[in-house]
Amino acid sequence: MFLFKRIPTRDQITPVYAVIVQIIYIWTILWFFWKLPSLLYYMTMGEILATLTYLLATNLLESLVILCGPLFLSIILPMKWFRDLFVVRGTALIMPGLGYLIYIAYHFQSRNEYPAIFFKWWSVSLAVFILFAFVFFAGRVNILRKVIEFIADRAVIFLYIFIPLSVVSVLAILFRLIF
Amino acid sequence: MTPFTRRDFLKLSLATSGSLALSRLMPAISATKENQNTSLPGVVILVFDAMSARNLSLYGYKRPTTPNLERFAQKATVYNAHYSAGTFTSPGTASLLTGLYPWTHRAFNEAGLIARNVVERNIFQLAGEKYHRLAFSQNTWPNYFFGQFRESINKILPTGSFSLIDHLVGDKLGKDSLNGQRAFEDFLFQNDAVPPSLVFGLAERLIHRYQLNRAHSEGYPNGLPRTGSYPVVFRIEEVIDGLIETIKEFDTPTMAYFHLYPPHSPYAPTESFFRSFQGDNFFVDKPDHVLGDHDSVEKLNNRRRVYDEYIASLDQEFGRLYDFLESSGFLEKNYVVVTSDHGEMFERGVMGHNSPLLYDAGVQVPLIISAPGQRSRQDVYLPTVSVDIVPTLSHLMSGKTPDWHEGEVLPLLGGQEKPGRSIFTMYAMKNPAFEPLKKISLAMRKDQYKLIYYRAFNDYNREDRFELYDLEGDREELRDLYPDDPAITRSLRDELLGKLEDVNSLAPYMA
Repeated sequence: MFLFKRIPTRDQITPVYAVIVQIIYIWTILWFFWKLPSLLYYMTMGEILATLTYLLATNLLESLVILCGPLFLSIILPMKWFRDLFVVRGTALIMPGLGYLIYIAYHFQSRNEYPAIFFKWWSVSLAVFILFAFVFFAGRVNILRKVIEFIADRAVIFLYIFIPLSVVSVLAILFRLIF
Repeated sequence: MTPFTRRDFLKLSLATSGSLALSRLMPAISATKENQNTSLPGVVILVFDAMSARNLSLYGYKRPTTPNLERFAQKATVYNAHYSAGTFTSPGTASLLTGLYPWTHRAFNEAGLIARNVVERNIFQLAGEKYHRLAFSQNTWPNYFFGQFRESINKILPTGSFSLIDHLVGDKLGKDSLNGQRAFEDFLFQNDAVPPSLVFGLAERLIHRYQLNRAHSEGYPNGLPRTGSYPVVFRIEEVIDGLIETIKEFDTPTMAYFHLYPPHSPYAPTESFFRSFQGDNFFVDKPDHVLGDHDSVEKLNNRRRVYDEYIASLDQEFGRLYDFLESSGFLEKNYVVVTSDHGEMFERGVMGHNSPLLYDAGVQVPLIISAPGQRSRQDVYLPTVSVDIVPTLSHLMSGKTPDWHEGEVLPLLGGQEKPGRSIFTMYAMKNPAFEPLKKISLAMRKDQYKLIYYRAFNDYNREDRFELYDLEGDREELRDLYPDDPAITRSLRDELLGKLEDVNSLAPYMA
């Protein structure tokens, strides 16, 4: 009961999840289109679509994993502080958080590279501190709050595009794995 | 309920006695079948990735890189001018497995696939049901072909078998492993750039890092052997142990294809051979080529030395495998084929392969075939090519050759020596698999001559260029005879251009 009370409502979760979906999917799809010309050299349309189903299914799983982050914070932090402002605080956490992840990804150009600086205690602490400072101010500064709510609200459209595609992809993969 | 009549009783008795008689006969029938099967020779194809024949002491290289291959060759047939049909794994291996040139199988792009309309033309399909067909490749790209041949292979060992670190997802997706592997290994977890899977891609790299730190790397001063763009990390001795254990389990005639990653880069010689060729005053200096990468001679010779040390390390472990094959009596009943999918260059400004340059270092590969019970060495000096392996093995396994292959049965294994035969090797990576070949380098070897044709390269202002070498008098391919225009030039050039025109008229290439 205690847990259920702390979980945000569906209306609160949807815009935050939409922001996650927007970033995660667009990142992968941009890479997909970057690679597409070379894929067209030696893969048939059917094979390319089969590859795409794996990308969309993986993105779906990734987006759900990421969503667990703000949901977890909503459970452990005071309700007034996080759960009641879930859209603003969740989006404020997700946007710079995933942005930072993209920044780290750019330093992992291959498996041989290991940007150790990102995994030092002071580096992680600094990143977390800045992130939470932003989350804190996002709920306090009115203009920032409105901008974040506006972005999150507009992002919902991506759910209508990507989630059905991902569900179809998961079904297609299951079909291929079974038959 | 109908009554059980006398007629029913007679029918039942007849059926029972008939089945009893048949069941007594069945073991005899299956035993006969088994006897027939056990009389079949097994076949093991052992492919060492990127092993140039020009760097093996077996073929006269100055550094003692392959004493154990030489031991193996003492009871085998050695092909001294054997060529790969392609300059890197996809076309080279596809030709080896299908008996088709790249212009027919179309797997000439990186990670390319065999044309869907010729996918049933492969060595596993030819071996047929009477053989247990087993495939293993440490290199992911041949694994894609196994995915295409899935219906004809009884067992495909995962690429990470016998390894310290494996793919996280890779080929673990059962029936859809081909698509899954391509999606994860070539895209979501791609190694040559930022991972397109933001969360799992980063997680995969961190997990790989963690596994690498925990893997014991003693005995490998340059780091553990690994598979270039893919996460598989291994120790050569453990892979050879794995192969030995796998071979021990063969209890029916088996057609096995083992594709090992060494000595492909990154070169990781063992401690025993690390720097063992340093300071031996062996130095190769050949002129830079306009289509090369313009690496310095010093750098090339340094990398050549490490590559040679890696070959020597691999050869030492091959020696253990050979000792097992010999002491277990395996060689008495089985054909063992040792070859490579392409060569490796350390000359003319080029390091590695994937180059449009078609000099022998990049395309001449070892081919040694030990026949069951063979006691002495035989040598073949006429040019042969990787598309010959499929018809030869088909001939050895069934006495027949398919009508679709583009090679010849190898001399001394059922085929005839054919002087004047033309063989081809090519680089066509920059062409779409679905269209005629436009930008290509194509070499034709005929008797002692080798004609190389470069078409549509920007460095030549997209003009046609030719080089001609007489390999009998100029083994190192240093004196281009083409400008001298000897009498042979025109006929060779006409034949090569005619061949290219023929194969380009085969469109559409895919069903």
